[in-house]
Amino acid sequence: MEQQIDSAVKRGRAYWFVDGFAEMGAGALFLLLGVGVLLRGWIGQEGWLSWFASAAIDFGTLKAVTLLAAVLAVWWLKDRFTYPRTGYIRGKSVPQSAVLSFLRNVLLLVILPVLGLAAAVILLPPMRIVLTSIPAWLPVGIGALWGVFSWLTGTWTGLTRFRVMGALALMTGIAVGAWQMAAGFPALPAEALQADWWTAMPDALSRPLIDTLNRMFAGVGTMTLVCGIILLASGLVTFLSYRKENPEPYREDA
Amino acid sequence: MTETLHGLSDLDRVIHEPARLLLVALLSPVESADFLYLLKESRLTKGNLSVHLSRLEEAGYLTVKKTFRGKIPHTEFRLTPRGRSAFDQYRKQMGAIVAGKKSQG
Repeated sequence: MEQQIDSAVKRGRAYWFVDGFAEMGAGALFLLLGVGVLLRGWIGQEGWLSWFASAAIDFGTLKAVTLLAAVLAVWWLKDRFTYPRTGYIRGKSVPQSAVLSFLRNVLLLVILPVLGLAAAVILLPPMRIVLTSIPAWLPVGIGALWGVFSWLTGTWTGLTRFRVMGALALMTGIAVGAWQMAAGFPALPAEALQADWWTAMPDALSRPLIDTLNRMFAGVGTMTLVCGIILLASGLVTFLSYRKENPEPYREDA
Repeated sequence: MTETLHGLSDLDRVIHEPARLLLVALLSPVESADFLYLLKESRLTKGNLSVHLSRLEEAGYLTVKKTFRGKIPHTEFRLTPRGRSAFDQYRKQMGAIVAGKKSQG
């Protein structure tokens, strides 16, 4: 009995994903970002700072525009296709406490460790060797985060395909990390390892840092691309199945 | 055994009916849902669905809002705080009854 009630509750939560549009929208977003990140890896820049600044601007703009376009497209499609077939639901508004709790978790789990690592790399010379291995562990970290998020979504909605996608994201991250590790890492010159980075970034570091950033973006770009393809494929299969079950909009006289 | 039976007699009869329980369960994770969504998900007939929704409305467990989407009439149903509380209470009671029965068995 409890299982049946739970299943009915989860159907409501899963309704947003019933037609595959949300996954296809997210997949298109990931695909574009992946291509953008990979292209960035091929376009050279003079200094690491200008490289980083232009990459941040490019990705920020690309992400904002694509995210907005994807959200609008999904709403439009649902309004024209899904709601006339299987009905409309209005999701619960998220309480402010939940938003604050989410932001606190992001801060604790993502931003603080990144800032801590950056500070450690600048202040502690032995930690600097970690910097060049970023192309290997960053995709694994992103794959694990996306995998956990996807798995939790699957548990919350009762949709097995999200758990499968979570496992695939983690495996993709590990595979990309292994590929980057097998390719080897750029070596940091001895003087760059010992210099005081707090006051001045040594010139000798510029080349290996750009190489590392390019490699990092190649790995993350590949991972994002693969995750986008997985999301698109899952969304497409879900959409085709939904369309087969609901070929026509609902009619009162049917 | 006696306590389990007492627990059964205390159950909310408005929600305990299977079709109404399903409707309340479907409405519980959302802010509101329209007639078509409830019809498709519950697989009840239109007449049956209307009767059960009216019964829930009479009990003060849901509210009905009639609007238009373009030129088409659109009816949305929303659980009231009383309906949500009754559903939570029902789940707790059922959980306790099932747990009591398991410990006895």
